[in-house]
Amino acid sequence: MGPNRREKVRLATITASKVSKTYRSNARLVHALEDVSFSAEENEFVTFVGPSGCGKSTLLKIVGGLLDRSGGDVMVKGQPVLGPRRDIGIMFQTPVLFDWRTALENVLLPVEVLGLDPGTYRERARGILQMTGLEGFEDSYPNQLSGGMQQRVSLGRALVYEPDVLLMDEPFGALDEFTRERLNLEIQRIWMERRKTILFVTHNITEAVFLSDQILVMTPRPGRLARIVRVPFPRPREIRLMKTTEFASLVFEIREVLGVA
Amino acid sequence: MAGETREAAAAGGQAAAGEPAAGWRSRVTRPEVLFSAGFLVLALAVWETLSRLEVVHEIILPAPSQILEGTWTVVTLENFHRELGTTLLEVLVGFLLALVLGVGIGIFTGTYELFRKSIYPYIVAFQVIPKVVFAPIFLAWFGFGIESKIVMAAVIAFFPCLINTAVGLRATSEDEVLLMRSYVATRGQIFLKLTLPKALPFIFAGIKTAFTFALIGAIVAEFVGTYHGLGLMIQTFSFALQMPLVFAVIFIISATGIILYSVLDYLDRKIVFWRREEGF
Repeated sequence: MGPNRREKVRLATITASKVSKTYRSNARLVHALEDVSFSAEENEFVTFVGPSGCGKSTLLKIVGGLLDRSGGDVMVKGQPVLGPRRDIGIMFQTPVLFDWRTALENVLLPVEVLGLDPGTYRERARGILQMTGLEGFEDSYPNQLSGGMQQRVSLGRALVYEPDVLLMDEPFGALDEFTRERLNLEIQRIWMERRKTILFVTHNITEAVFLSDQILVMTPRPGRLARIVRVPFPRPREIRLMKTTEFASLVFEIREVLGVA
Repeated sequence: MAGETREAAAAGGQAAAGEPAAGWRSRVTRPEVLFSAGFLVLALAVWETLSRLEVVHEIILPAPSQILEGTWTVVTLENFHRELGTTLLEVLVGFLLALVLGVGIGIFTGTYELFRKSIYPYIVAFQVIPKVVFAPIFLAWFGFGIESKIVMAAVIAFFPCLINTAVGLRATSEDEVLLMRSYVATRGQIFLKLTLPKALPFIFAGIKTAFTFALIGAIVAEFVGTYHGLGLMIQTFSFALQMPLVFAVIFIISATGIILYSVLDYLDRKIVFWRREEGF
């Protein structure tokens, strides 16, 4: 699949083996996830793609230790995931900003909670807001910012304390197409600069192919891993990549797996 | 990106620059303010005319001018300060008691699910009871002094504090809690940095309602029996059929209530500054 990019043997940052999740709903057992196994290398961009109900968000939360699993194992950086960890950050579909905090204060939230040195991180937070194009909005409150800007603050908050693994649960799903595209380019740039392992969730196949090294295609009821697709395109990728036949055929391959071809 | 930022900057800049420039002058000339003031003037004029033409008898409804005159009479009475002071003390002490106990127990209720569920039926039952029915009982228990009024005011003001606090503490979303948990936050951190600030708009709404309730409680308790207070003045004047003075006291009570309420409203706007305009 990936012709030349992953020749070197690299340390797997995340390994999930036979992860399953069952819960009871109205006295009925629901299999949200069944025996999902995958691994992500260090600094790899891995995306779960699939329709609603395929368990991709559930899987993401399990990897982050924010949700209990019913079976299987998850290891992050050689340590089993037994609960929330400070080396794993998360970003949601909605910005989840606190209305009573300014943009800068929102970015500094994890710094306060983790008890890191506020002096050092204040400057870093300003730098991050600058990098995400929010210079001059440090003291604005969330309700004074547009949806796209709020999501940038949310991104800044996820980056500020430098977690090695970043989980992104449809982070741009609620934004309009143009803003989403711009932010995807920025995510790529930031990811290339800061080298993180990113697990990304989306139901947008084009977005998945554009961003990822590895795509885990998932199908619903029960949530299963249907195929692993490696994306070989060099980086940095530009929007015009979407025009190429290679890109289109990868998108089509995933559509076929999902039965929407 | 650039476009988006610039748009927001323009909008933000306008709002920021617009506020101080607008000032009270342009706020006073806003149509709703003009209509509202015009309506008041019109209503008072009609009322005054009907009264002067003796369409409505003074005993039924005194004219605004008579009430204003009466207000001066009441305010200059020798014992007025004492009556006003008594009622104010009852209202404020009762209100503060309700505030501390209501918010305190509300925090406990909102935090401990088992406790919340176990007391729920009693809260509902108590909600339905018109609390003023207890006024005669409190009079029997605590006497004609200010104690029975304080208790009445506190009891009636307690529930909005309790319920709003308990409801507000449950206003956090699942993602907000997950976010805090992803930073390995302790329960205390989650409470102080997320749950409590999130509940503040609700708590303040409860506190404001509680204040108006405390005022009702104190006055009703005075009606039932008291040595002093504005409620006593209303009763005394009304037995003597001095209606302008009765209305004058009502006017004084309302004015006092509005002033104290605006203090709470001001605190609400300052502390819960992020709340968007809402309601009526």
